[in-house]
Amino acid sequence: MRTILVLVRKDFANFFANKAAVSLTFIVPFVLIWLFGAVFGVNRKDSGPTGIPLAVVNASTNPGAEKLIQALRAEKAFKVITQYKADDKTERPLREADLAALMRANEFRFAVVIPEDLFSEKQLGLHLKIYTNPRNEIETQLVNGILQKTIFSNVPQLLGQSLVARGRGVVGAENMARFNQATADNIARSFGGDSAQILKNIESGDFTGGLPAGGAGAGGDSLLSQVIRIESIQVAGQDVKSPAATRIVGGWAMQFLLFALSAAATGLFYERDQGIFHRIMAGPVSRAQIMWSKFTFGVCIGMLQLVTLFLAGRILYGIDVEHHIGFLLLICAFAAAACTAFGMLLAAVSPSPEAASGLATFSILLMSAIGGAWFPVTLMPEFIQQVSKFTLVYWAMEGFSQVLWANVTFLELLPTLGILSGMTALVMAIAVWRFNRGKIFG
Amino acid sequence: MLTLENVTKRYGTLTALDGVSLRIEAGEFFGLLGPNGAGKSTLMSLVAGLRAPDAGRLTLNGQPLSAANSAARAALGLVPQHIALYPKLSAEQNLRIFGQLYGLGGALLRDRINEGLEAMQLADRRRDRVETFSGGMQRRLNIIASLLHRPKLLLCDEPTVGVDPQSRNAIFEFLEKLNREGLTVIYSTHYMEEATRLCSRIGIIDHGKIPALGTLDELLLKLPFEEEIRFPRTEATTALVAKLGACGAVEPGDEHYRFRPQPGYKLSSFYQLTESLGLPARHFTSQRPTLEALFLHLTGRNLRE
Repeated sequence: MRTILVLVRKDFANFFANKAAVSLTFIVPFVLIWLFGAVFGVNRKDSGPTGIPLAVVNASTNPGAEKLIQALRAEKAFKVITQYKADDKTERPLREADLAALMRANEFRFAVVIPEDLFSEKQLGLHLKIYTNPRNEIETQLVNGILQKTIFSNVPQLLGQSLVARGRGVVGAENMARFNQATADNIARSFGGDSAQILKNIESGDFTGGLPAGGAGAGGDSLLSQVIRIESIQVAGQDVKSPAATRIVGGWAMQFLLFALSAAATGLFYERDQGIFHRIMAGPVSRAQIMWSKFTFGVCIGMLQLVTLFLAGRILYGIDVEHHIGFLLLICAFAAAACTAFGMLLAAVSPSPEAASGLATFSILLMSAIGGAWFPVTLMPEFIQQVSKFTLVYWAMEGFSQVLWANVTFLELLPTLGILSGMTALVMAIAVWRFNRGKIFG
Repeated sequence: MLTLENVTKRYGTLTALDGVSLRIEAGEFFGLLGPNGAGKSTLMSLVAGLRAPDAGRLTLNGQPLSAANSAARAALGLVPQHIALYPKLSAEQNLRIFGQLYGLGGALLRDRINEGLEAMQLADRRRDRVETFSGGMQRRLNIIASLLHRPKLLLCDEPTVGVDPQSRNAIFEFLEKLNREGLTVIYSTHYMEEATRLCSRIGIIDHGKIPALGTLDELLLKLPFEEEIRFPRTEATTALVAKLGACGAVEPGDEHYRFRPQPGYKLSSFYQLTESLGLPARHFTSQRPTLEALFLHLTGRNLRE
């Protein structure tokens, strides 16, 4: 045990004497976390995309079309373009025929056309056209989502007009007028109100206006706006001060940790090439003691790095670390142990430091991507979701989330700790087996 | 003290050591002389317990030497061929780590570090990082690190590679002093000058075998000639070479000839011949044969091949 402690102390002295290693382990990840936070707008109230150019062609004379354009203008994600600027700097409203050329010239990648037949007497609903140049798939999905949200939130008002128009198409204008008049008279007789005003509102598609207080749709909302009522109930993380940062700092931290510990493990090659292993193994030091000392050092430095990065999250984004410090240290220790074992496996299976470094880059990026360090696993195909459960990144992320987000008890955390320690034991066993047959200590 | 009995070590199809038997007594300064790849480092690593032999037996003071026998290994000190130090740490930090690994601590370790640094003239650089040291200083520190636990047997695996003459002398004097004080040293080198100066007994190693073993004088007696005469390559000496063919071997160099007389050939006969050819005696240098010549004689190749 004394020998292992001497070797661990030596590794710490060596580590802290190496300014580049200290900087890459602590300072660079700190700066990157700040940088990524700024890029992704972590904790910003107005987070999300802004100012995406969106061309809008309005070929409809219906006042509802103008309302729709106003709604799109109000959406901060979009910068609405409705005018065409000619080379001589004159301007005119955009036409549908302009769109293809302008989109190919990358003036904008998305356009909405409100056609003349926004409402049709032959069909119920609205008619809109969306033009896209989907050269960035994620951006396209994002824009489509925001467009649909904006349009659908305005649909209830517009749908009333569509219903009236469709009614005219089915029963004819004269019959529709008679029906509306009778309906308005009935409403006025039954609930009160001015029959002429109610008729005017019905014909404009507004099914609430003109009704007295306490009548149907009271409260001023359109009747149709209540067709679907969604109640959102959050079951976990209600008290989390910084939800976005809490979820993603763990992912970044894991990736940095894997890189740092893989680099530390490839340091084994340096000690081999310098003859240091020969020197100490010629004395009373065994290879098992060397491996245990490397593992202990890796776990300590890994914990230190994870805690530092979560503290960075605390300072930069207000992540609630202090209320979870006990469990956080626990999950950090288990995650660091798994990452250390992984780094040692890389060193054990690689013939040279260059090979270990290449293998580390490949496997860390792969594991981070499918393990959920970059984006949620649920966004991936089902097969990948299954594979991700075999990565230590997935279980470390799961543990961070359980501690910082779901506020679990020790018993609830235990299965995740068990899986991480199982992975550590398995990977370490393979690494030791390879070390005993490899050339690191040969 | 150290005994090797029919020790064989193979790496795949390559036989690095081939049935080597050797006995080294306490207090000896034993040299292992051979070119690169001859088997010197393999022999050192077997003695240090870093590798196990495929056949044969190694014992130190009667105890088997192996990776498992840490008590026997504690009596060894290894000076590796590489500078096996941590460059980012100071000289003192390095020594403290290696001393602690041998269980040393407190005042005893401090004293030994001080002694080592003083002896190798590094005391004033004790707090400097090793990476700021010259190659020679690093080599000297490399040796101190192997001596902190006061081993009984020191294994020096080419410890002066790339060392300046000043550091080389300091290393030689330090090792000679330790040897006088009773330390047994096995010193591997491909420099015959080092083996000649330092070693009380030398084993010539080549292709995993030791074809010759003994003191310098004993080894040189194995040569079929006792003297070697050098003279310049000139028009006048060309006539001499033609007449010397029957008296020994003449080996032409770039600027000189080397004449190795047959056993029993008298030098007086040689000088009579040169006088008869009108060649002045100052052209001729007589010298004792070297280990280089012996190695060439035994193996058919040069030490530095």
